[in-house]
Amino acid sequence: MSIDWRRYKPEPFWDELITAKGRARTGAGNLCRVLSQLSDQELLERRTASELAIRSMGITFTVYTGEGSGSIDREWPFDLIPRLIMKREWDAVSEGLKQRVKALNMFIDDVYHDQKILQDEVLPREYIEKSKEFRAECVGVSPPHGVWSHICGSDLVRDASGQMYVLEDNLRVPSGVSYMLENREVMKRVFPELFEEYFIHPVDDYPDQLAECLRSLSHLKSPRIAVLTPGIYNSAYFEHAYLANAMSAQLVQGSDLVVGRDNCVYMRTIEGLVKVDVIYRRIDDVFMDPEVFEADSMLGVPGLMRAWRAGKVALANAPGCGVADDKVIYTYVPDIIRYYLNEEPLLPNVPSYRCVEKEQRDYVLDNLDKLVVKPANESGGYGMLIGPKAGKKERDKFARQILANPRNYMAQPMLLLSTAPTLVDMHAEPRHLDLRPFILSGSSTFVTTGGLTRVALRKGSTVVNSSQGGGSKDTWVVDLE
Amino acid sequence: MSGLTLSSTAERIYWLGRYLERSETTARLVIVHANLLIDMPKRLPLGWRPLVEITGSASEFAERYDGVNEKNACRFLINDTRSPGSLLNSLTWARENARTVRGFMPLRAFEYFNEIYLLAREKLTEPLSRSRRLQGLTEIVEHIQRIDGFMSANMLHDAHWNFLRIGQFIERADMTTRTIDVATGTFWEGAIDLEPFADVQWRSVLRSLYALQSYNTSVAEPISQGPVIDFLLNDSRLPRSVDYGLTSVRNNLRSLPHHERPLRAVNRIRRSVAQTEVRKLSAADLNRFLDACQIQISELHDEIRKTYFDFKPRRRPSKQRQKKPQKQPKAQAAAARRS
Repeated sequence: MSIDWRRYKPEPFWDELITAKGRARTGAGNLCRVLSQLSDQELLERRTASELAIRSMGITFTVYTGEGSGSIDREWPFDLIPRLIMKREWDAVSEGLKQRVKALNMFIDDVYHDQKILQDEVLPREYIEKSKEFRAECVGVSPPHGVWSHICGSDLVRDASGQMYVLEDNLRVPSGVSYMLENREVMKRVFPELFEEYFIHPVDDYPDQLAECLRSLSHLKSPRIAVLTPGIYNSAYFEHAYLANAMSAQLVQGSDLVVGRDNCVYMRTIEGLVKVDVIYRRIDDVFMDPEVFEADSMLGVPGLMRAWRAGKVALANAPGCGVADDKVIYTYVPDIIRYYLNEEPLLPNVPSYRCVEKEQRDYVLDNLDKLVVKPANESGGYGMLIGPKAGKKERDKFARQILANPRNYMAQPMLLLSTAPTLVDMHAEPRHLDLRPFILSGSSTFVTTGGLTRVALRKGSTVVNSSQGGGSKDTWVVDLE
Repeated sequence: MSGLTLSSTAERIYWLGRYLERSETTARLVIVHANLLIDMPKRLPLGWRPLVEITGSASEFAERYDGVNEKNACRFLINDTRSPGSLLNSLTWARENARTVRGFMPLRAFEYFNEIYLLAREKLTEPLSRSRRLQGLTEIVEHIQRIDGFMSANMLHDAHWNFLRIGQFIERADMTTRTIDVATGTFWEGAIDLEPFADVQWRSVLRSLYALQSYNTSVAEPISQGPVIDFLLNDSRLPRSVDYGLTSVRNNLRSLPHHERPLRAVNRIRRSVAQTEVRKLSAADLNRFLDACQIQISELHDEIRKTYFDFKPRRRPSKQRQKKPQKQPKAQAAAARRS
C-alpha cells in the first residue's frame, strides 16, 4: 500500500518534509497527503511518465565509460517527490548568498589590484601567493562592475538541527542549472495537480537573467554572446547546449574562435568572421588560451587572454576568479565579509579547521577519525578523507600529507546532512541531499529561486554526484501567505 | 539560434548529408548488383569488380584482399571498418556528425541516426548470408529514406538545411556519374560479346538508382545505353539524375551568402553536361567525359570548402587534448575515391 508516512523514520537526521514526530512540516501537509493517496499503480505510472518525459526531452548527462569506449549519454536520474522550502526562509538565505558573493568578488578584485586585505593582515599573504588558482596574468585587470565571478553555484547543506550552512562556493564554472530548469518541466508534466495545491515560485526566468547579466558586461546595446564549450564529450555538454539555446546565444568550441590583430574575438561563420563581445566560458582557466596557459590545449583560443586584458571581450567567469574558490580561503569567508562590507555574515560557514595553524592542525591530527579533510583546490569530492569511514592506513596517509603540506588542507566535522523522502520501490525512504543555488552578478545581482537539489540515492550515502549514484529533485520555494 | 551559422557546424552538416547519401547508394548498389549477377551468364568477366571500382578504392582493396569475389567485395563494401567507403563506416561518420549538430535538427533526428547505426551493427555483421544481406541492406535503405523524409518535413529550412541538402546532392551527382562510368567501362572492356545482355545490365543500373519505373513511364525508347545515360544525366525530372542533383545544389547555394564562386563552379558542370551529346560519344570519349565530371564535382566541393568551412585565418595545428568528433577520414576517403 503505497506511501505510508507513519512508517517513515528520518531520525537522527533533520528531514525536509517530516518532523521527528512523524508529522508533516509547515507547508508540507498537502504534498504528503496527495502522495499518500496514490496507489502503487498510480505511483508507478507517474514514475514511468517522468522517465518518458526525461527521455523525450533528451535530458542527459555524459558519463565516461573508460578507455577506448568513449562516453555515453545517460538519462538524468530524477526523484518524483519534490523538496520544499518556505519563501520566508529562502528570502533570508538569498540575502545571505548575495552578501557572500558580493564580498567574494570584492576580495578577488582586491587580490588582483591593491591587495589591501593582505596589507591589513586579515589573511596571510602566502595563502594567495601559493594558491594554485592565483594567476599573475590577471593582475591589474579591471573587469566591468568589479565582478569576477559572474555565475556562482554555492552548495548549501542543513545539519541535524536544521541550520543551513554554506559548504562551498563554486566560483569558477559551476554546473547544474539546466537540470534545475528541466526538473521543474518534468514535474509540471507528471504532477500537474500538485501545482494547484501551492503557489510555487517559478524558476524559468534563469536563462533571461543570465543573458541580462552577460549583456551587462558589454557597453554595447546588444552585444553578441557565445557559450564556449569543451565539446560534446564533456559531461556538462547538455547544459552548455541548453543554455546557449535558451539565451539565443551561439554555442562554440575553441576552434570556432579566432583573435584578430585588433585583439577582438571573432567567430568563424559562413558569413565570414563575426565579432563576439561576451563569452560565457565553460572551460577551465588553464585550457582557455594556449598562448598563456597549457600550450597544447586544443580547447582554447590563442590570444583570448590578450583580448580580455585589452577589454575587447568580456569573459564570464573572469580568469583567475578561482583564487577565492579554495577550501582554505573558504575558512576566511566570514572575515572577508566583515572586512569588505563591515557586516556580520548572514549565512554561516560549516565550522572548519585550518591545518596551517598549529593549534588547529593538532586538533585535526588528533581527531582524524571524526573529521572530513579536504584539499584546498580539488572539486567534485576528489582527494578527500572521510575520517569516520576511512581505515587507519588511509588516516595515517592523510596525517603525513597534512604535515608535509599544511597549506593544502582544511578539515570539517562530519555533518549529519538533512534528508528528504525519496521514492524507493513505491514507498518513501529518507535520503541525504544538498542544494545548489546559482547567484548571478553583473550590473545587478540575482539568486535563483531555490536551486538544484541533489540527492544521494543509495541508502546512507552522502555522495550526491550524478556520476556516482546521485539523483535530483525539483525544489519548490512556496509561499503560504 | 541567433541566425548565425558557424563554419564548423555547416561543415559537419554538409558531411552528414554526404555520408547519408553515400550509405544509401552503397546499400542499393550491392542489392542491385547481386541481383544482376543472378541474371547474367556465369562465365562473364563482370563479377564484383565494378562495385569495388565504383568506390574508387580498388587499390586499397587489392592490398588487403586476395581477389575479387562476392564475399570479399561485400565485406569491403559493407562492414569492413578499415575500408573508408564501407557502409558501416559511412553510417558511423553520419552518426558522429549528427551527434555534434543535434541542436540544429529536430530532436528525434539524432535518435534515428543512432538507430540506423545500431541496426547496421546488428544486421550486417559476418557471417552475411545472401538472404540476410539482402534483408539488412533493404532495411537500411528504408531507414535512411525515413530520415530523409523526416528531416525534410520537420527541420527548419535555414542555412543548416541548405548545407545538408548540398552535401546530399553533391554526393548524389557524384555517385550517379560513377555508376554510369563503371557500367560503361565494364561493358566495353568485356572480351566476350555482351551485347545480348546489354539491356539486362542497363535495366539493373536504372534499378539501382530507383529510376527503372520512371524510365519506363517517361522515355519512349527501349532500354539501351544511349537513352539510359541521357536520362540519368539530363532528365530534370528524375531526382537521381546528375542534372537534378546539380540544380538542387545551385538552388541551395543561392540561399547562402558569398555564393559566387561555388555557384560558378556548379554552373560550369551543368553547362558542360548539358552541352555534351552523350549519345554521339565514343566509348573512350564517354569515359573521359565522365572523369571530367567527377573532377569538376570535386572542384565544386573545394570551392564550397574554401568559401564556407576552411577560410583563413587558420590556427597552427597542435596536439589534441580532447577526442574531437571527426568529420571523417575525409581527405583519405576523397583521395581513395578518386580513381
